Amino acid sequence: MKTRMKEYRARLGLTQEQLAEIVGVRRETIIFLEKGKYNPSLKLASNIARALGACIEDIFILNDE
Amino acid sequence: MKCRIILWMYSVISVLALLLLLSRENIFVLLALVLGVLLLGHREIWSLIRYRRLPVIDERVRDNLSNAMRLTGILFFITSIVLLLLLRFNVFKGVPVELIVSGEFVMVGIVYLIGYYYYDRVRPNLGKRAARWLKICLITAGLSLSTVALGIVLHNLISYWFDFEEAFFFILALLAAPAVFAVSMLVSLVIYIKGLFSPAGEG
Repeated sequence: MKTRMKEYRARLGLTQEQLAEIVGVRRETIIFLEKGKYNPSLKLASNIARALGACIEDIFILNDE
Repeated sequence: MKCRIILWMYSVISVLALLLLLSRENIFVLLALVLGVLLLGHREIWSLIRYRRLPVIDERVRDNLSNAMRLTGILFFITSIVLLLLLRFNVFKGVPVELIVSGEFVMVGIVYLIGYYYYDRVRPNLGKRAARWLKICLITAGLSLSTVALGIVLHNLISYWFDFEEAFFFILALLAAPAVFAVSMLVSLVIYIKGLFSPAGEG
C-alpha cells in the first residue's frame, strides 16, 4: 500500500510527533505508515485522513497485487 | 495521576515480592523476577522516567504485543513439558529446582523481547528476500536441533540392538547437526540485527 501521508502532513506543517499525538498513536507507527510498511485499520486510516483534512482514498492508495 | 498510581503500585508490589523472596531465601527466583520486570517493562520504565507518562499503546503495538505473547506462550508450554520430562528422569541431579524454573522464566522473557522487536522493528524493515532467508534459517535451526535429539536416540538404539558402535547417527547428532544449527542461528542473528538497526524504521 502506498500513502501520501507525508505530502499532506507537510502541507499542514505537522511533524510526525504532532500527527501521532493528534491521532493517538506512537511516532513509530506514523513512520511505518508513511513508508507503507504497516497497513492501518479502517478506524486509524479514517482518523489520519480526518486529521490531515482529506479523504481516505486520497491518502492511502491500495496496490492491486 | 494515572502514571503516579502505576509507579506506586509497581514499587509496592516489587518491595513486597522482594521481602517475601528474601525471607524465603529464593535468590534465584528473586533475580529472575527483577530481571524479568526490567526486561518486560523496560519501555514503560524508560518512558515514565524520561517523559513522566506511559507510552501509547496503539493498534500496531497491540498487534505486536499479542503476536509476541503468543510466541512466548507456545515456547513456555514446550519448554515446561521438556523440563518436566528432564526433571522426571533426574537429568538435573543436584541443581536446585528454583534455578531451573528461574532460568526458564528468564529465557522466556528474552524470547518475548526478541519476538516483540521482531514484529515491531525487524519484520517491517526486512525485504522479501531477507524475510525468506530468515524463515529458512529458523526452520533449519529447529530441524537441526531435533536432529540432535533424534540422532542420539537412534545411535543408542542401533548400538544396543545390533551390538556395535554405530557411527552415522553419532556424527550426525554430535557434529553435523550442531554445526548446521550454529550456522543457521548465526545467519538468523545477522538478518535480525540488520532488520533491527535498519535506518528505514527511524524515518
